[in-house]
Amino acid sequence: MKKISFSSLFSHFILIIFALLFLVPIWVVLASSTHTPVTILRDGLQFWFGDNFINTYKSILFEHSGYTKNVTAFRMLINSLILGFGFAIGKVVISSMAAYAIVYFRFRMANFLFWLIFLTLLLPVEVRIVPSFEVLSKLNLLNSYTGLIVPLIASATGTFFFRQFYKSVPDEMLEAAKIDGANSWQFFIDILVPLSKTMMIALFIVMFIVGWNQYLWPIMMTTKPEYSTLLLGIKEIYQSNFEGTYLPEFNKAFAMTILALIVPVAIVIIFQRWFIKGLVDSEK
Amino acid sequence: MRVKSFLVAALFAVVANATTNITWWHAMGGRLGEVVNQLADNFNKSQSEYKVIPVYKGGYEDTMTAGIAAYRAHKAPDIIQIFDAGAATIINAKGVVYPVADLFDKYGTKFNANDYISGVRNFYADSKGRMIGCPFNSSTPVMYYNKDIFKKAGIKNPPKTWEEFEKDAAKIKKAGYIALSQSHSPWIFAENFHSRHNLQLANKNNGFDGLATKIYYANPAMEYHWSKLRDWINKGYYKYYGRGWADNQQAFYDQKVAMWLGSSGSFGGLKKGAKFNFGTTYLPYWKKFIDKGAQTFIGGAALFVFSGKSDEKYRGINAFLRFLTNPKNQYFWHKETGYVPITKAAYELAKKDGYYKRTPDAEIGIKQLSLPSQKWTKGYRLGNYVQIREIMVEEFEKILNGQESAKDGLETIDRKADKLLVRFARTHR
Amino acid sequence: MKKVQFKGGIIPYLFVSPQIIIILVFFIWPSVMAVYYSFELQDAFGTSSQFVGFLNYQDVLGDKDYYNSLSFTLIFSTLVTLFSLGTGLYLAHKANEVIKGKGLYRTLFIWPYAIAPAVVGLIATFLFNESHGDLYHFLNQIGWKFDPKSDPFDAQVMLIFISSWKQVSVNFIFFLSGLQGIPRSIIEASKLDCKSDTRRFWSIIFPLLTPTTFFLLVTNITYAFFDTFGIIDTTTRGTPMGQTKTLAYKIYQDGFLGADVGGSSAQSVILMLFVLIITIFQFKYIEKRVHY
Repeated sequence: MKKISFSSLFSHFILIIFALLFLVPIWVVLASSTHTPVTILRDGLQFWFGDNFINTYKSILFEHSGYTKNVTAFRMLINSLILGFGFAIGKVVISSMAAYAIVYFRFRMANFLFWLIFLTLLLPVEVRIVPSFEVLSKLNLLNSYTGLIVPLIASATGTFFFRQFYKSVPDEMLEAAKIDGANSWQFFIDILVPLSKTMMIALFIVMFIVGWNQYLWPIMMTTKPEYSTLLLGIKEIYQSNFEGTYLPEFNKAFAMTILALIVPVAIVIIFQRWFIKGLVDSEK
Repeated sequence: MRVKSFLVAALFAVVANATTNITWWHAMGGRLGEVVNQLADNFNKSQSEYKVIPVYKGGYEDTMTAGIAAYRAHKAPDIIQIFDAGAATIINAKGVVYPVADLFDKYGTKFNANDYISGVRNFYADSKGRMIGCPFNSSTPVMYYNKDIFKKAGIKNPPKTWEEFEKDAAKIKKAGYIALSQSHSPWIFAENFHSRHNLQLANKNNGFDGLATKIYYANPAMEYHWSKLRDWINKGYYKYYGRGWADNQQAFYDQKVAMWLGSSGSFGGLKKGAKFNFGTTYLPYWKKFIDKGAQTFIGGAALFVFSGKSDEKYRGINAFLRFLTNPKNQYFWHKETGYVPITKAAYELAKKDGYYKRTPDAEIGIKQLSLPSQKWTKGYRLGNYVQIREIMVEEFEKILNGQESAKDGLETIDRKADKLLVRFARTHR
Repeated sequence: MKKVQFKGGIIPYLFVSPQIIIILVFFIWPSVMAVYYSFELQDAFGTSSQFVGFLNYQDVLGDKDYYNSLSFTLIFSTLVTLFSLGTGLYLAHKANEVIKGKGLYRTLFIWPYAIAPAVVGLIATFLFNESHGDLYHFLNQIGWKFDPKSDPFDAQVMLIFISSWKQVSVNFIFFLSGLQGIPRSIIEASKLDCKSDTRRFWSIIFPLLTPTTFFLLVTNITYAFFDTFGIIDTTTRGTPMGQTKTLAYKIYQDGFLGADVGGSSAQSVILMLFVLIITIFQFKYIEKRVHY
């Protein structure tokens, strides 16, 4: 009896310590964001809330900041949302369609196309970032939502995800549908899609996070502040604050950091089950 | 409802858009950025045909990077501020910029290169002396010192030479402070070090006569200086706060260090932010290597105009540049920021106004720039210099860290820099 | 493949074409460009270019900095993978063992995944900052002269710590899933066979997690190679002394900031080949294992 309770106490202890290791830095940033910059400069990072909350958050959301002073964090929030949603939707739709073709059809280029798609796993964006810039500029897609979203859909992860799922769908479904006289389009829309609803939601959530958290791509592909995402905004505020000879506005930098992480974190926590499904099932 | 208001707004936009917009990408942040905005405002208010829109793109490197990327994407701004290290790259790029000398000629601005003070004149000109970029903010390294700490340490006057500095540093250390920090190893402790000691920096006349292929940072004076720096770190006389300009300046603000080597352009910010008495003086030199310190050359940046724009825009740019080089506006810029007045007329105006009687510190920079020029005080024109500076900073850090001897570090810099220079020369054959 | 399929025709092409078009335009085209540029010497503004054969490759492979970056990338990736994988596994094991609170712990360890690497980097900058960072002061107080701005070792350790911190969550999620997927019967049987807790874990449970582990190995290495870009760019940016640049970061710095299109393209191609080899290895090895 004693042995068991000690080891389980120990497990809890370890888990709590590590949980704190993750929580405390975020907490400190959150708490510090509610103080004035003077306090932070003078007393360091804070562990409890101050009274500058409304002031700080109001100013970054609605005051124009950043380089040209014509962009608010609110605008950047919208951009991040657009990037997250656009990318996730695009990914789900396009990968499910591509996977459908590869799994459910016998056609000549199937194998070649499969390998082509697989090839994209080889090269994350960072490696082809400079020529990607050239391509986007030739297509006049710099500083556009299309340019921000569409090229990122080139990677194969979603397609493999759906391929795996479709392979697990029993053949009987297709046989039955064929007997009923359904064509391939009908089968897809009326049977397969409803069946994959959970998977689609799962993938959507994972991809939303990926889209929202894009960093290098928006940096390179936008030169106008109106297209800045929240992540870029933080970087700019942080940089411009620390370069000038003024008191760095830590509270604003912290507040934006919180804004940048609260949306994806909330989504992951609220939609935990789907999220895990989306991650874990894409492995197989 | 929405569609209607959109149409109305569009109509207004079309009608109201008789003004030509001129985009100006610059690297002036903080207080400097505010003055830039003010200048643009003043210009815009003084007439209604053109509207200058300043856009802050980050530091000098970031602004240049953004400019290059934009140019490659055929979306270049109209005017861009390019710094000293980037001058060779943009000047040597065929057809990218519209030389301001040509612009002024075409649109009728009277312009004489000799109006500019000597330290400024040649840096952005071609081999025939025609200005390609329009000097805008010029500065030179100077020393700021904390008068309060000096008092505590019992030092009356700031050191003129590094030999004197060493003696002062010991006293300052006793008083409980670090004697020195500085904000830009390449600019202050290499490029201007060479100038101050009249040492050749690169072949082909420091790059002005052609595409240079050899750099000369490994020499006895530099070796001596950098060995001394390492020595001073060990003794607690000097501290390196990382490669960020602001971090090393912060130490001076925080009154951790007694002396700080910064830019004459830092004066404006210091004036507003420092909570102690400070003074400005010349950059020290080694008496061992030169009897009297020579002229330094300008840092800072110039304004370049991109090619391929409309005639209307060029008229506006011409008007704006003329506005900027007007002595009154030059004086204003000088007073508010600490950047030196780049034309003789502006310098005279400031003198006449008694500015230097009220603030003698503000004259140090321009006085240092106006020292008689010598063979190697002209500055440099080297390609790939942004990367070369990156190499320099890295090797300097190794020297300061004790990982490398000064001799080895400087020789490594020369070796790597030469490779880059050769590459640049090859690219522009 | 499925036994029952639709016959060919134009429909499959229609379904697969959006993905293929995007891949061709935004993946193949830039990659081909990278190869093309790697054989050219271009000036920063793109106004002149000349074919120089393998010169860029020679310069890259003859550059000591490249090898610095390579060794840093390898060591960094290995350590980050080890730490985050190990910690993730450990925490998952512990979370799986407790009777009460499994759900709570899962929630507590899942959310860091959602934070962007760049944001993690920024938070770390605040905490490790010299003037007001608590961690900076703490480390100095316990006797470690911590100075990431001038000591490359300190900067590297800091990066490894930050990068591992961020990645524990992913490993935790997968391992917990994997552990929860092990049938009760096996666990009960193993308890009878093996009294020692640790031995039981390593000889029975862990082997059942091998497919997961292999997958995570590759995920973590990819993360360390590429996704840590956001962390590096917001913390050290390759300083001090250029000792904290991963290969991916170096490509960005040289190509974009240094405007050296030829050199960075050559680096990209080399990295592409490297990743190709790893992926082939992964595919052969993993695919084999997944079919148990």
